[in-house]
Amino acid sequence: MNIPNSSTAPAAGEYAGDEVSAIVLDPGYWTTRAGFAGEDVPKSVCPSFYGQLDSDSGSQQLFGENAIHNPLGNLQVKNPWGSDGIVQDWETATKLWEYAITSRLTGAKPGDPTKNGLNDGTNTNGDAMDVDMDAVENQEKPLEDSPLLVTEPGWNTAKAREKYIEIAMEEWGAPAFYLQKTGVLAAFASGKASGIVIDVGASHTSITPVLDGMVLRKGVQKSTLAGNFVSEQIRLIFKQSQPEIPLTPHYMVKSKTAVDAGASAQATYKTFATQPTDSFRRHEEERVLTEFKESVVEVWGGNGRLSNGANEDIAKQMPGRPFEMPDGWNQVFGVERFRPAEALFDANAAVHDADHPKPKDDQTIPRLVQQAVQHVDADQRPLLLSNIVVTGGSTLLYKFNDRLSNEINNIYPSTRNKLFAPGSVVERKYAAWIGGSILASLGSFHQLWISKKEYEEHGPSIVEKRCR
Amino acid sequence: MATGRDVRDMLGLPMGAGAGEQAKAAKKSKTTGGVKRMQGVAREVAALYGERPPPVAVYEEEKTYRAKRQNTGPAKKWVQQDFVNQARNDGLVLKHWRRKHAPAPPVQDGEDTAMEETDITGPYIENCGDFNKYNISVDLPTFSDEEYEAHLRSNDWSREETDYLFEVVRDYSYRWAVVWDRYDYQPGNNSALSQEGVDGDDGNALAAMPFAPPKQRSVEDLKARFYDISAKLMKLRIPEMQMDADQYSTYEILSKFDPLLERNRKALASALMNRSMDEVKEEEFLLTELQRINMAANRLDAEREELRARLDAPAPNTQIAAGLQSFTSSQALQTLFSQLFQQDRSKKRASGGGSGPSRLSLNTNDLAQTPASTVPGPISAVNRRQSMALPQSAAAQTPVRTLPPQQERRYNVSTHDRLTSGVSFGADRLVKMRQAKSNVQTQKIAAALHELGVPDLIPIPTSRVGEAFESLIGKVGKLLDVRKVREKEEGEIRVLEAMKEAKGGSSTSSNNNATATDDKRSTSISAPPADRRSSTAAPASTPKTTTNNGTTTSTSKRNEIPDSNPASPLDNESSTRRTSRDPTTTTNPDEDDDQDDDQDDEEDDVVDIDTSHPRDNEEDGDDEDAEGEEESRQPSEAPAHVSTQQQQQQGRKRSASEFSAGSASVGSGVSKRARK
Repeated sequence: MNIPNSSTAPAAGEYAGDEVSAIVLDPGYWTTRAGFAGEDVPKSVCPSFYGQLDSDSGSQQLFGENAIHNPLGNLQVKNPWGSDGIVQDWETATKLWEYAITSRLTGAKPGDPTKNGLNDGTNTNGDAMDVDMDAVENQEKPLEDSPLLVTEPGWNTAKAREKYIEIAMEEWGAPAFYLQKTGVLAAFASGKASGIVIDVGASHTSITPVLDGMVLRKGVQKSTLAGNFVSEQIRLIFKQSQPEIPLTPHYMVKSKTAVDAGASAQATYKTFATQPTDSFRRHEEERVLTEFKESVVEVWGGNGRLSNGANEDIAKQMPGRPFEMPDGWNQVFGVERFRPAEALFDANAAVHDADHPKPKDDQTIPRLVQQAVQHVDADQRPLLLSNIVVTGGSTLLYKFNDRLSNEINNIYPSTRNKLFAPGSVVERKYAAWIGGSILASLGSFHQLWISKKEYEEHGPSIVEKRCR
Repeated sequence: MATGRDVRDMLGLPMGAGAGEQAKAAKKSKTTGGVKRMQGVAREVAALYGERPPPVAVYEEEKTYRAKRQNTGPAKKWVQQDFVNQARNDGLVLKHWRRKHAPAPPVQDGEDTAMEETDITGPYIENCGDFNKYNISVDLPTFSDEEYEAHLRSNDWSREETDYLFEVVRDYSYRWAVVWDRYDYQPGNNSALSQEGVDGDDGNALAAMPFAPPKQRSVEDLKARFYDISAKLMKLRIPEMQMDADQYSTYEILSKFDPLLERNRKALASALMNRSMDEVKEEEFLLTELQRINMAANRLDAEREELRARLDAPAPNTQIAAGLQSFTSSQALQTLFSQLFQQDRSKKRASGGGSGPSRLSLNTNDLAQTPASTVPGPISAVNRRQSMALPQSAAAQTPVRTLPPQQERRYNVSTHDRLTSGVSFGADRLVKMRQAKSNVQTQKIAAALHELGVPDLIPIPTSRVGEAFESLIGKVGKLLDVRKVREKEEGEIRVLEAMKEAKGGSSTSSNNNATATDDKRSTSISAPPADRRSSTAAPASTPKTTTNNGTTTSTSKRNEIPDSNPASPLDNESSTRRTSRDPTTTTNPDEDDDQDDDQDDEEDDVVDIDTSHPRDNEEDGDDEDAEGEEESRQPSEAPAHVSTQQQQQQGRKRSASEFSAGSASVGSGVSKRARK
């Protein structure tokens, strides 16, 4: 029995772990991650986009991967997040997150028989329903036996934070709650208590200086030069290229035939009774662009910027990468593939037109890092710079880290700058969730939870006091 | 059952040979039968070995299986155990997975299961204190209102803000960077609340007035305030006198915190961090240059050290004179040279015909250019070594910048032929100068200095003070010597007068006798060298003639005696001896100069190889013998000079010569008197 296996108990205090089957929810702009603390991957990763079916009888919201990619005629694809990186549509966000949790983790609780649609007869008795409302509400709460750890962006407002705890406590009935910033958790996921976290996500790039597990608020920087911005750049490049590169999402193509590079596509397209909405199409296009980003786009990783000296010529010499659109159109992308991501580091290199002005220089990642460091106490700067954690899906762009490292070394040549970027894709994308998973499964974390009792005593403002 | 053997035994028949063999065979078969027979393929393999099995036994590898999982009964049950954390005070009940508790003594089977059921449903709540060790809070100084009013008031800080500061510091456990980051004191809130009751909006505005712009406190401001309060409280709790070392050092750190200094330091730190790439590269370049130079210097030092060690090697005698003595014979010099030459060659070979600067030892060319033949004037042995130690190229490379004497004085620049390693203090030198070879002499010098009002300890012993003191000491020495000579001469005169009175007017022969009795032994022993000297010292006015080299060496050797036994040159024994023995030399000063020159010559010639005068070697040997004896005897003659002080030699010598130059009249007077 001495051989440790899956059925033996871990040694007492091993890793100081003591999990209480807490649920970690890490909502993001592109996906929402949820899973049990103590696991290494979020069990439930569902898109943060939702579909809205507007009909005469009212609107219906559809969640989940399967629902939002279905080309229904009147399906609007929306996102509850605002442009400032803070949740805007709280009502839907709550439902979306609830879906993320219940679809895979807790399962749907058996609903009240009067409401589950199986028993038609009871609907007639409206009074009885009202009487039972309390009981119904109590039963519906999906998180009754799991403490909940939710992540928030570093720049979250006090009001939004209170909203989080309200949702968790009142709507979901969680016995305990905690709110932690993504930056801190991403640092934890890399095994660091201090460092600068560079998180390049879909909607926002954020730089979070973390010291001993606490965010240095003055140093938190964010900008919108992130994954969606790169997509936008690609769209512009497609539009501005001669001839224009057509962007056809998958759902429109019925069948395609192979064509030569650059030749126009020869495909048969699907016909729809009612054309899917623009938002749906845009979202579907985004998927193609994601593929494009994954397989073609490259960050210039050499010395200096792409526009510096002969760099562009060197880039031209590099072998191109082919890409085929869903409709069969294909081309080899040469130096163009360096352009979309270049603006993340060099605002002047941004592709722009009337609707999409150039970003400001202080929005670029190197400037953000510089500003973040500038807002930290001088004594801590070298420490932070030697622990730079890179996370977020957009950092998976090819050679992103090389470039980032070059840029930072250019700004701070005299310090020892070290980048920590987890090698595996999952860890890079879900670092914040993994950090939350670690944190919430620690035995020493038990005392930090905000319990329901405390919430009831102090109200939502307790979150400001406790989750620092 | 009787066997055939028994039957034979009974019948008295002899045991047949065949029977014996049989028994043996039986035994053999028994033993062979005991060996385990190999099976299967292994047996065939063994058969291939033939009759002689290999020395290493062949083992059939036993098949190993993973140990069977021991089945300890049915699967252990786990339950989601409710628990409360001791660190919490709100009684939050969480659940974690625990092994199901074995039920307390199972008494009756049927009832026990029922009990268990109730146990699970019943509210057993574990009290979990496993992680209490991580629940730590920081210690913070506390103060009461009175204390605050009495000691801790500050113009810059309100009581509220101070409290807020302490709260934040506690919250963030002294992490100043975080404290500063989160420090967000809103003065309006508190004061507004307190004032609102009095008179609404106006009061609010008034109250906010003094704090109107929320101050931007820097980390240093926060720290300064906090440390200041901490120090004051610490002093209040424990008076300074009663603090132990740790407490006091803490107190000192706290009370000596200087926000300005800290701010400057941080500004410097951030400036250092924000340097451009070029600056960093330049610094790197300079650092590598420095390292390179240091390494070269170290190498050069090591080489010089090695050279010195090598030069000292034949005689590890620390005394220079004694060390030199071993090289006085040309044979010894020859061996030394060949030794050096060999080392040089072997080194060259080892380093693959090493380049210029690595050449360390002498070659014949060097010998031809020894300072004795080229450099006129006296060069000390020390100097000489230096010139040997320095490779010529290095000497040529070092640029010497000469300053006019005025500037030299102004900037206190001094040039040295050779700097001794390590640090020496001017005060030490001065103290050493005070000491003579004998206690009596030392006391005399001390008395003379005391008379002159020179303090025992001279403050600020600069080199110039040292020089002045040295010349003073020289003069004191001269004075003492003169005094001594006078006493001696007076004594002689008295003796002579007494003799004169006794015998009633005798000739100069009696004079001679008197001197002879005076230092009979030394005269008798040093007679031959004195003779030789008299023959050679006459032309000694031109001592550097090459033909006379050998002889001058030997002569000066003899003359060195007084040097190595410092008091001598002016010791009237020798001078009187000279005067008495050598009436042709009328002037003592000349003699002394000669002597100096001679000595220098001698030193110069240390490595001179002179094979053309083999006779000189013998003479040298002779001389040495004589010297040895003389030296050994001298102490008995002049006990006052026994304690030799090597360091004083130079000064003494100089003072002696100066004396002889200055007090020529005395000497001549004496000699005249003596001749008379």
